[in-house]
Amino acid sequence: MDERSRTRQLIGSLLAAVAIVAVVVVAVTARLGPTSVAELDAREEALEQRQEAQEEQLEARQERREERLGN
Amino acid sequence: MEGFFETITRGNVTEVKVVLASVVMALAGYQVFLMAIGYGKLRLRFLERAPATRAHRAIGGTIVVVSLLVAAMCLAYFELDEAAVHAVVASALLAVLALKLVVVRWWHSAGRFLPLLGITVFVLFGLTWLTSAGDFLSD
Repeated sequence: MDERSRTRQLIGSLLAAVAIVAVVVVAVTARLGPTSVAELDAREEALEQRQEAQEEQLEARQERREERLGN
Repeated sequence: MEGFFETITRGNVTEVKVVLASVVMALAGYQVFLMAIGYGKLRLRFLERAPATRAHRAIGGTIVVVSLLVAAMCLAYFELDEAAVHAVVASALLAVLALKLVVVRWWHSAGRFLPLLGITVFVLFGLTWLTSAGDFLSD
């Protein structure tokens, strides 16, 4: 076998290693789930903001009702 | 250091560590396959001994770098008492890996022990992965 063939074999072996890396990254990421901690934090924050807004609306409604009853 | 890893992984230190450790584990298996060809234990028409050995060396260098990165993440981010078995096995792995590198680079008279060292490194990689990433993925 000549040097060119050996170089081709070497490159092929390294490409196989790259393919293994890609498959493992995809498989493990799929197992872990695509959602990052940052995204989870953002979702939690959005939920908290929604809850706060709902509470504020409820309080405002109660205040209006009390004002009406007072009049 | 903890903050540095938190920043570069965007808060996903454990997840990134699990992915990197799994990549290293898979490549370690591939390394055994390449050296089985390199030592003539396995004969394939499309891959000769010399290119298989050269690929083993190149991939081995990458594995060492990634392993050291994972080890640094472990030391910076996790407490030792959280995973004592993992810490012991991983320390043994790094020690045997260092010895293997010394034999490959400088201590050529001990070259006959390389297959044994290689198998030991592979087994220790497996145990290290099982006691951390494997545990995490099975939850």
